[in-house]
Amino acid sequence: MNWFEWIERETRPGEAEKRRGAFDGLLVLDLSYGNLAGSVCSSFLAEQGARVIRVELPGGDISRKFTPEGTFLGDSGLGYLVEELGKESVVLDYLSPEGGALLKKMASQADVLIETHGQEKMVSVGLGYPELSGVNGRLIYLSITPTGNFGPDSAPGEVEADVVGQARSGIIYLTGEPEEEGKSPEYYQVPTRVGSWFSWYAGGIFGAFSVAGALFYRESSGKGQFIDLTPSESILQFLDYNLTWYHAAGRVRERLGNFDIAVYPYTFVRCKDGYTFIAAYNDDAFRTLCEIMGKVELLDDPRFASFSERTKLENERELVKHIEEWTSRHTADEILRIIQDTISRKSGPGAAVVTGRVNRPDETLKETHWWERGVFVNHEDPDYGRLVLQGPGYKMTETPPRVRREKRPLGADTVRVLKELCGLADEELERLKRKGIISS
Amino acid sequence: MGKNANRAALRWLEEVFSGSPSEKPEILKGVRVVEMATRIFGPYTGDLLAQLGAEVIKIEMPGAGDLMRYVTPEGYFWKNASVGFFPQNRNKYHVGLDLHYEEGKEIFRELVRRSDVVLENLKAGTMDRWGLGYLQLREINPKIIYAANTGFGQWGPFSLGRPSYDATAQAVSGMSEITGFPGRPPLKVGIYIGDFTGALTSAFAILVALYHREKTGKGQFIDVAQAEVLIRILDWTWAYTSLKGKPRTRVGNMDPAVPPSGVFRCRDGFVALSAVTPEQWRGFVSALGDLVPEEIRLLEDPLERTKGEIPEALDEITGKWCSSMKVEEVLSAAQKGGFVAVKVQNARDHYESGHLRARKSVWEVEDELYGTVTEYGPPPKFSDSPMRLKWEAKPVGYHNEFVFKEILGLGQEEMARLEEKGVIGRWDDRPGACPPEKS
Repeated sequence: MNWFEWIERETRPGEAEKRRGAFDGLLVLDLSYGNLAGSVCSSFLAEQGARVIRVELPGGDISRKFTPEGTFLGDSGLGYLVEELGKESVVLDYLSPEGGALLKKMASQADVLIETHGQEKMVSVGLGYPELSGVNGRLIYLSITPTGNFGPDSAPGEVEADVVGQARSGIIYLTGEPEEEGKSPEYYQVPTRVGSWFSWYAGGIFGAFSVAGALFYRESSGKGQFIDLTPSESILQFLDYNLTWYHAAGRVRERLGNFDIAVYPYTFVRCKDGYTFIAAYNDDAFRTLCEIMGKVELLDDPRFASFSERTKLENERELVKHIEEWTSRHTADEILRIIQDTISRKSGPGAAVVTGRVNRPDETLKETHWWERGVFVNHEDPDYGRLVLQGPGYKMTETPPRVRREKRPLGADTVRVLKELCGLADEELERLKRKGIISS
Repeated sequence: MGKNANRAALRWLEEVFSGSPSEKPEILKGVRVVEMATRIFGPYTGDLLAQLGAEVIKIEMPGAGDLMRYVTPEGYFWKNASVGFFPQNRNKYHVGLDLHYEEGKEIFRELVRRSDVVLENLKAGTMDRWGLGYLQLREINPKIIYAANTGFGQWGPFSLGRPSYDATAQAVSGMSEITGFPGRPPLKVGIYIGDFTGALTSAFAILVALYHREKTGKGQFIDVAQAEVLIRILDWTWAYTSLKGKPRTRVGNMDPAVPPSGVFRCRDGFVALSAVTPEQWRGFVSALGDLVPEEIRLLEDPLERTKGEIPEALDEITGKWCSSMKVEEVLSAAQKGGFVAVKVQNARDHYESGHLRARKSVWEVEDELYGTVTEYGPPPKFSDSPMRLKWEAKPVGYHNEFVFKEILGLGQEEMARLEEKGVIGRWDDRPGACPPEKS
């Protein structure tokens, strides 16, 4: 059996459910409120088999209401839906004294607690790290807030939209079309947000990364710990030379639209049926591209003859016109076929010509590659019927991440969980319900 | 619980995080990683593990090394180094080793025999073809964890022979299509977002595998495709597109799911702003006053504000309000009103931020070759076993002695012979690969 057959057999969709998850048997309490980074984090832990209990305040997490066009499926919007699957749902007013005592009891049995209110509020209701680590020294306590729990500008865990986190991180400053010199700026020539909730997702994955690290450490030390994380800081290291360039040269990196001053050509170009990506930035690859386009004369043009000339912005603006002259005569798929035909006969740097259609989401959904690999999964929603959702974004042979399927109505597990973890009797549960401390 | 108790607990936080991380334990101390990776997607995974304390041995071709050494803005080299090479290669051991030679492969196998993790980002199947794939390496080290980072994954219609860069993943996933303004071309995100997010996912999976191995003694193979990671993080894109029967499109700077929020032009710069909770909403409408029509003022429930034309209307109103003010005026109005506004931050803002420095998110590395280098520090702040930046990336083969002698036990003569033959080696004398000039 060759490599490709072996790895496909070991990681194809459906395998995960037959194998154990690395986090089977771990108990995670997710108290996130208005900050989907927490939800994303607990989703990644659930994909590895952890038992995740979403604990929401009465009325539910406000992020259930973050949704386009007022689209609400049963009790959650589309953004929340994606990250709520595969978790149990408990409604408990843990900010009240009685509810807080119950949460503390749950935390005494948990491996991980995730909160986004910030330590000032959590401490004020007796659920801060010092208090909970006192009852459970093995607890890993992750606090995700917009500005962090310490530092001179640290503010309490204020709720803020993803776009604000993106702005703090610097990613917005670097994304978007530059203003054209000498012309008055158009409304679109501005720092531009990433279209999806990137600060929440970067924060969520860093959250899962840090919990996994703390779990590994706990195996040898026997101790839990406190982790402080912000969605915006989670993006900082992704800005690569942003800060080192400022340090070394005093230069502030600016937005360049679809250009790139470190590598070029490395850009989106118009083609017959939309846009496609073209990269061929080392000298050999650029030669290959020029040959493919039938434009070898570009190699003799001093503006394009070397790597450093090609990465000058004014030369990039000229070069892209030549490339589009060729690409606009072909569809994105034709361009892919032509380039693949050529580079499959080459090796080394000359083969580094890379392309790919700029897909609309409905086009991405039509490509069989993602379906075969289980990146897209059909979801039968009890409220709306069939939907397509994204599965896990990585594969493992021994502990494959599982697709989270079940959607639990808000509070559906309140009674069962409080009986199990807090030993509450029926009459006590009734009393708490009447008081509005729990709901189910 | 009283106010004093709160302050005491928060003081604990300040104390824990103001100390020097170097006095605390490291999570991955004693874990050895062999990195056979170039550019960003592979190396940043190794960098994250190294920030956690792993001993990461970065293998490069003798001479030129990792091609990222030559990717730097405007061709700028600082002390003969690419400023684009540092941020994915901290705390590593650099060796020059040519795997085209059988002896090079043998040295690689010896390293793997003594290691815990192998990390690579070559085209799918390349290492297997070289006799150094997972199936071959697990024969010599059954507990090995092997992570392969690629554009499209190890198998499936796109995986064979199709190269991929960060922007390929941005393009094919749909991320670029939903970024930018309607009526304008789709926009490439201004950072290598697919590389970094994919690399982080890979590092997460490696930690999962290490944890699992601690419990069971078993290693495993990890397949991370950057396009698939971007598909995973496109929030409600797929739910929406399949539910509505029409694709999600780009809508510029507003967030249609959390209005009002977006990026707005002021007289002297740009701010990002949001008002989410009912309290924040009340503060927002009172700050904007008559600009907000009566029927919209009443919409305290954020769900109601996502309906119909309201997101666009709020975007326009907020834009109008900001356009007449300076950044500072918007920030203080937001503070007074109890909603959130921040200046759109750039490198200088970060560099000068006392807050980010106190949090070690802006971190000064003291390096034996390069002196002080300012870098973004580790995002997660662990109370007991903090991540840290210890030293900068080094020239090709800088740690040959340490790795080949101390770890593998090669003798001086053997090393000289291998170097003579070109199996192992050091930097070319060119910017990007070589050390700084001696001053």
